[in-house]
Amino acid sequence: MHHLSDFSMILSQSWFDSLVMPTWLEELFFRSRAANEIGYKSDVVYTIIFWISTIFFVPMMGLMFYFVVKYRRRPGVPAPRSASHNTPLELAWSVVPTILLVWMFFAGFLLYMDHVVTPAGAENASLTAQKWQWRITYSNGGESPETTDELVAGAVPIFYVPANVPVSLRMTSQDVLHSLWVPAMRRKFDIYPNRYTTYWLQTDPLEETEGTEMLADGTIYKDYWVFCAEYCGDSHSEMAAIIRSVPPDYFQQWKRGIATPEDPWEWGQLLYKTRCASCHTLDGTTNIGPSWKGVWGRTEELEGGGSVVVDENYIRESIYEPAAKIVKGFKNQMNSFQGQLNDDELNAIITFMKSVESNPNAEGGQ
Amino acid sequence: MTSHDTHAGGHHHEGSYLTPTGGFWATVWNWATTIDHKKIGVMYLFAVLTMFFLGGAAAIALRLELLFPTQVVDGQLTGQMFGAADATAPGPGGKQYNHVMTLHGAIMVFMFIVPGIPASLGNFFLPLMIGAKDVAFPRLNLMSWYIYVFGSIFGVASILLGGVDTGWTFYTPYSTTTDPDQGSRVILMILAAFILGFSSIFTGLNFVVTVHKLRAPGMGWFDMPLFVWGIYSAAVIQVLATPVIGITLLLLCFERVFSVGIFDPAMGGEPLLFQHFFWFYSHPVVYVMILPGMAIISETITCHARKRIFGYRAVAFSSLAIAAISFLVWGHHLFAAEGELIATIFSALTFLVAIPTAVKVFNWLSTLYKGSIAINTPMLYTLAFLFLFSIGGLTGLPLATLATDLHLHDSYFVVAHFHYVMFGGTVIAFLAGLHHWWPKMFGRMYNEFFGILGFSLVFIGFNMTFFIQFILGTQGMPRRYASYVDEFHMMHMISTVGSWVLAAGFLVHLVNFVTSFVIGQKAPPNPWGGLTLEWLAESPPIEHNFDHEPIVTHGPYDYDEYVPPHWDPKDYPLPEPAEGSSH
Amino acid sequence: MTTIEAHDAERPYHETYTHAPHWRSNDEEFDAAKIGMWLFLTTEVLLFAGMFCAYAVFRMMYPQAFANGSHYLDWRWGGLNTLILLISSFTVAMSIHNAQKSQQFWLRFNLFFTAMCGVAFLLIKFIFEYRVKWADGKRPGEWFTYAFATDPHEPIWWSIYYVATGIHATHVLIGVGLLLWLWRRAGKHHFGPNHYTAVEITGLYWHIVDIVWIFLFPLLYLIH
Repeated sequence: MHHLSDFSMILSQSWFDSLVMPTWLEELFFRSRAANEIGYKSDVVYTIIFWISTIFFVPMMGLMFYFVVKYRRRPGVPAPRSASHNTPLELAWSVVPTILLVWMFFAGFLLYMDHVVTPAGAENASLTAQKWQWRITYSNGGESPETTDELVAGAVPIFYVPANVPVSLRMTSQDVLHSLWVPAMRRKFDIYPNRYTTYWLQTDPLEETEGTEMLADGTIYKDYWVFCAEYCGDSHSEMAAIIRSVPPDYFQQWKRGIATPEDPWEWGQLLYKTRCASCHTLDGTTNIGPSWKGVWGRTEELEGGGSVVVDENYIRESIYEPAAKIVKGFKNQMNSFQGQLNDDELNAIITFMKSVESNPNAEGGQ
Repeated sequence: MTSHDTHAGGHHHEGSYLTPTGGFWATVWNWATTIDHKKIGVMYLFAVLTMFFLGGAAAIALRLELLFPTQVVDGQLTGQMFGAADATAPGPGGKQYNHVMTLHGAIMVFMFIVPGIPASLGNFFLPLMIGAKDVAFPRLNLMSWYIYVFGSIFGVASILLGGVDTGWTFYTPYSTTTDPDQGSRVILMILAAFILGFSSIFTGLNFVVTVHKLRAPGMGWFDMPLFVWGIYSAAVIQVLATPVIGITLLLLCFERVFSVGIFDPAMGGEPLLFQHFFWFYSHPVVYVMILPGMAIISETITCHARKRIFGYRAVAFSSLAIAAISFLVWGHHLFAAEGELIATIFSALTFLVAIPTAVKVFNWLSTLYKGSIAINTPMLYTLAFLFLFSIGGLTGLPLATLATDLHLHDSYFVVAHFHYVMFGGTVIAFLAGLHHWWPKMFGRMYNEFFGILGFSLVFIGFNMTFFIQFILGTQGMPRRYASYVDEFHMMHMISTVGSWVLAAGFLVHLVNFVTSFVIGQKAPPNPWGGLTLEWLAESPPIEHNFDHEPIVTHGPYDYDEYVPPHWDPKDYPLPEPAEGSSH
Repeated sequence: MTTIEAHDAERPYHETYTHAPHWRSNDEEFDAAKIGMWLFLTTEVLLFAGMFCAYAVFRMMYPQAFANGSHYLDWRWGGLNTLILLISSFTVAMSIHNAQKSQQFWLRFNLFFTAMCGVAFLLIKFIFEYRVKWADGKRPGEWFTYAFATDPHEPIWWSIYYVATGIHATHVLIGVGLLLWLWRRAGKHHFGPNHYTAVEITGLYWHIVDIVWIFLFPLLYLIH
């Protein structure tokens, strides 16, 4: 892996790794092989710690049971005398664990440096987290229109990445703390509002990966889960995404295809999927926010009395100052998109929104 | 030569501390205005156990929600329970789950486990074990109790009004911005924790002065039972750490009410500062939780194995070492949030605290060697503690290790780890102590068969619930999730069923203890043959604990030299005298 | 010999005071009370330490806002308050001395004077500082409306200022209450050479309140 930094050479013997972590144990602990070598090494470190723990724990518990049986209370038999302390023994059981702990610290530290240092030549993208949706904007400004139905229909985006190429994500939040966790990478990192943090990922070459699947056109790919790992409210459990590792050529072609659509309706649909879908449905189901089905031109009752007709001005106000008017039965939970959506984007969303009842293909294109 | 005995097995005519002095209302008033540490300890005992059952009910509800991957269960249940506006809120069950999740954490941490052992068993037995009539400041003790009640009322009020969904850790900016229309509930919960902090500080302060100033003649520092060392170390942490959560919660309140902007990034504030402040207290506080548990284990293991502790000074000093080092490691909660240099330093320091902890476990294990081990409920819980706490402690190692923590942080692995140490450690030790000291506190024996039955259900249920969560964590299950992907279904199901077995075990214990008041055998002053001073007193003790101040002439664990108080030497065989000194 | 009121036929409370039953002597009880109070004061120091930590963090992040903020404060009022508290620390120490010597009149005088110093501190704070600043729009966080701020982070400075001095002022208020309560008890001859624990430990509390201000004053008012 000449792309990856290589601080942790101590773990590079593969016979050792498969001795310490046979396949059945790896599957028990991690379900499947990590997506790359650094993740794999993390697994080996974890498993070594597991074995060290077992080597202490099992004999200790064995000894405990043995003592309880052998020295169980018998009527008329006192406990025999024994030493109240034993300096050499006490020293030994302080020093030996300390040595093991020192190893653990260094193993962890060195591998940690591998994890947090972004390698050169990374494909850059920016990731935005908001309650309760992920969004990745690629270097050409494009955003993925694909979503999957798992967990919450329509709101789990699929992000394509090129296999065996490092991808560096510059992350920020629109509201509260989130955390990007890709279990297959064996790493997570927190995401803050008003600040950037970095997360890089790289998947193994697809030829060397097990469990790959095939797209309709024959391209092999592999999907990995992404979860939010910092509690962020109501739909924290549903804030997921998929990282889809595809061949690098396919990725470049895909990236060209997702540049901002020209047709306002398509653009509006993309914006809907990447920013609104986690809270507003298109089919009439009530979610965190009102459904968009048939919303255009409707008169909505408001919390606190009064009503409003859903027109361009109301939508504009709802997007920039959501707290101004709350539809009855809903709560004041929407973040403002002031500064994030410009007039063109707003028009695109409105174009899409108008069509939701009448266009049965509004949800198409997944 | 034993320590002075009050009456060798005789009855006391003035009755015990439990004997009512007048009619019903007179007795109520007597308890409400008491400055007797035993009565205060008993009141705390019932309060913390009630909180435990409340928090436990919340946990059962949480596990019920997690029985199926995405089905909403809690929404209906909790909606009916609390009847708040959230019951009809649209969206998946996440909101209700998050409220119950916060409730579980807040009740368990602030209202149960931090006061837990110190305020109940500590209050009752610390003075008795050092031969004193009471703690240093009895009126302050009563005030601690009322502050606890007052703070808990704030917490319960917050819950009854619909609860909060911030998580017990109140991370900003979520905690300062959630539910803008229902801000009062968040403030109530924050204030509850703030007020409870005062109770904690005053109790800790009381205990520290008590240990320094009220030991019986002849009891030097190294003649004290290890229970006292453990409670003392925990008390030191309480005094030093709690003010920091005090200022943190105050700042959080100001942030919430006045939007002062200290933690709000939109106003230039710093959310990470909250995390540092919060964990500067909350990490030492986990040692406030475990040190008293360890303190109990030192007593139960020596008494029920009839053996002096192996390495007394090592165990005593390790308690102090743990207390000291506990202040240096808070940053390990922020490995996935902070810079590399800080993370590295905190990882190294975190490994440091493992060493005195491991030493204690080895010492306890060695105490069993050549002992005379009784198999009863206290001893079974003691052995279970060694088993479960070891697992808890060992699973802290991959969390202290930087590379692996990046994967395990905020996953079910962490949830399993802290439940193994707090529940498998502290609560199991609490149960050991409760069974061990029940006869002394209330003058009744619990039923041993049901004690062992309850133990079996608790032990099996606990492991079934939590062990699988280690696997869930390494496989990628995040924490604080109300729903999850299908591949985790089987493991969650096992965990939920385990929680039912666990609950059954606690119900058995509850019934066992409650019925002991009615049908329990009357307890002798020293049913187990203990050598520490509380066994000198009657069961239950008289108002002033001892008739005459005890004069201490032997150590707390000299089981191979002395016949325990109230015991006939015929019934207590001593080993042959040693040729030389056994020190 | 002290001047005891002529109508007080019985021996005064402080002469006949005995310790609580769980103690072995008056001295032991007194020592314990002092240790207890020192432990409590440690918690107070730690509480304010957290506050100072927040100050340090934000000062590092926004040095300009903090420099501006200090300029808005009037060091003369702050200085006067510092002087008042220093004098009050002297008088409260004197009151302990008075109790030890059974100088009942001076004991009552010094307790009352100390309390009045506290009141003066609070009045100056509220009337000449808080009220003026608030009217100007120099308010914490979201409530900031001062039109002539030159640094965008000045609201944070004001948040730190109000919270730190506000928590301190609360402690001063509590101290005033305790001192007045002691003054009343002193009027009933509760304190004398044999028994003056409450005076001693309240004096200790008051000294900490003073010391915290000694740190707050330069950090907020003087450093530019």
